[in-house]
Amino acid sequence: MRLKSVLFLAVVYGTVSLSAQNKQLLYDFYEIPQSLMVNPGVKASEKWHVGVPGISGLYFQAGTSGVTVNDLFANDGVDFTTKVRERVVDGMSKRDDFSVTNQVEAFTIGFRSRNRPDEYYSMGMYVETDVIVYWPKDLAILAFEGNGGANIGRSFDLGDLSLRGEMVNVFHFGINRKINNALRVGARAKVYSSIFQFQSKANRGAFSTTQGQDNIYRTSITADLQLQTSGVEGFLDVLDEDSTGTAGDLVNLFSKRALFGGNLGLGFDAGFTYQLNPQTTITGSVLDIGFVYNSKDIMNYTLKGSVSNEGLTVILPEDITNLNNDLWQDLVDEIEAAVPFEENESGYISFRPVKAYGSVRYDFGQAESTYSRDCGCAIAVQENRNSDLYRNSIGGQLFMMKRPRGVQAALTGFYQRRFGRTLAVKTTYTVDKYSLTNIGLGLNLQAGPINFYIMGDNLLAYRNVADSHYASLQFGFNIISWNDN
Amino acid sequence: MKGLLFRCIMAFTLVLTTFSCSEEQDFNQFDDLSIIPTVASSILLVESDEEFINTVSTFGAFYSQTFNFDPFNEQFVAERLLEGVIQYEIENTTSKELNFSVEFLSEQGDALAIDTFNIEPDPAPLVTLDVVYGPGGRNIDILRNTSALRVTAQNLGDDTSTSTSPDPKVTLRSSGDFLFRLK
Repeated sequence: MRLKSVLFLAVVYGTVSLSAQNKQLLYDFYEIPQSLMVNPGVKASEKWHVGVPGISGLYFQAGTSGVTVNDLFANDGVDFTTKVRERVVDGMSKRDDFSVTNQVEAFTIGFRSRNRPDEYYSMGMYVETDVIVYWPKDLAILAFEGNGGANIGRSFDLGDLSLRGEMVNVFHFGINRKINNALRVGARAKVYSSIFQFQSKANRGAFSTTQGQDNIYRTSITADLQLQTSGVEGFLDVLDEDSTGTAGDLVNLFSKRALFGGNLGLGFDAGFTYQLNPQTTITGSVLDIGFVYNSKDIMNYTLKGSVSNEGLTVILPEDITNLNNDLWQDLVDEIEAAVPFEENESGYISFRPVKAYGSVRYDFGQAESTYSRDCGCAIAVQENRNSDLYRNSIGGQLFMMKRPRGVQAALTGFYQRRFGRTLAVKTTYTVDKYSLTNIGLGLNLQAGPINFYIMGDNLLAYRNVADSHYASLQFGFNIISWNDN
Repeated sequence: MKGLLFRCIMAFTLVLTTFSCSEEQDFNQFDDLSIIPTVASSILLVESDEEFINTVSTFGAFYSQTFNFDPFNEQFVAERLLEGVIQYEIENTTSKELNFSVEFLSEQGDALAIDTFNIEPDPAPLVTLDVVYGPGGRNIDILRNTSALRVTAQNLGDDTSTSTSPDPKVTLRSSGDFLFRLK
């Protein structure tokens, strides 16, 4: 039990530590080094930076497109079963999901090449957890109401079962290169060291009970379901109450998997920043185009086949010589043989959830016209102009992410205000499947070499946190050198 | 600078803590969740044509069989079974008066309950019977303790006549609708 508690707390901490879904506040917030992680081609103007280990990037994001905590647990006097029936079982669709994505940045560093000042290199390591569970509507109705009564004749779609989750340690190295005064590109190579992964998608099948042909009911099932797991059994073995596993074993297993002892994969990010004119900039990036080859600690579960039955059947005179009195067990065996639940240890490839960003930014409100500030101007200079001088930016961003049931998209409008190089504030308004009223606020503070940033999302929901469909909080500390300090 | 950093952090924290709140939540409500699905399934079909009934010279019973039937014996099922209805339908197009009985037997072979049906010869109406288990009906423990079914079919008529109906036969159909408390 103690081990389970430790794991639970670890997962909760990991869950609330950092997330990697839409980071609209961080995107193109180029004063923050971590913006390189969402666009390797961002306008990086640091000389070098070092993230404070463990707290350089902490982010939490959780979303539900369906029911909220408040919908169910508000002390409103409504019968709880009624709330579950109306707001969850009947109220949610199979496209609704519960998702959590997080990252914990262990370390990050970046530096500019002495010989090639147009190039900025960055590298680091972070742990990412990404879990999404779609609401299995038909299965929930089947569990809540059963196949009888009004559901006679209804076909329950077993394909409603769709989920995916993983925890992966990512080692990365990126290059950001200024091609010319207008164009900057970047790429990042990634090595994934998987800690665990599971997925159940592309499921198909149906379960139905209809009027029978011979007997009163006919029950049919056609199933092609699969749950693939890698790295899960190892943790379950340690956590098994009958095992002698300790918290130390859990940590050792986690460390081993995180440091190339588990399943490995490769991936890359790419991005660009292109200045259309001195005040207008477009950017774009794609992240996590990659895969993990899962070959160790595999356990897959399948349910595949098709069968119909109308109960125990005795047809005379054909069955008069059948003196077998195990007809019931024979029926059960027949069904299990026709739709076997099986296990296998076949390796499989899991693809990372690909993400893509794009943005248009318009800068205005020119401030000081000198380069006297500590701005790494040798890098940012552009024909006697420096876009850092613009105090304000306004623009729009598009985010897309590949999910098991298609692409999730979010549209963001933003306004950014800079107060010299010391302080910058960005506010966003985002529309996505989780919220139509998502207003976010980000703040970046440069106090000498110390950089601190904090970003909060969906701030209107803080009026009643329990009723929020989406929440994220992100902050971190870095040490940045803009020139020789 | 450090002062500014501190003030900014404090300001952000203050804003969040000042404006963030939550309605009162009662997570103990989860204990009140009630999930009681209805599970429906056919149970048993016995069918015999009239020719077979005529050929069985055994006096009375032309079919008698006992077979294991323990779906409600499983601990998971027995603990959650609340109530149920077993429906029977008997259709007779033979020229015979027939009798069917379905006995619910315990593990020791004792009869816990018996359902009997006397069916008139063709043209006979469709005989239906709903047997309720649980509140207002038989004791639900009968199902929980049922380990086997004994089905007996008797010919109460002659063994020579033949119905004029096409494909004369007798059919016993049965199904169940059961309520289970999953939560």
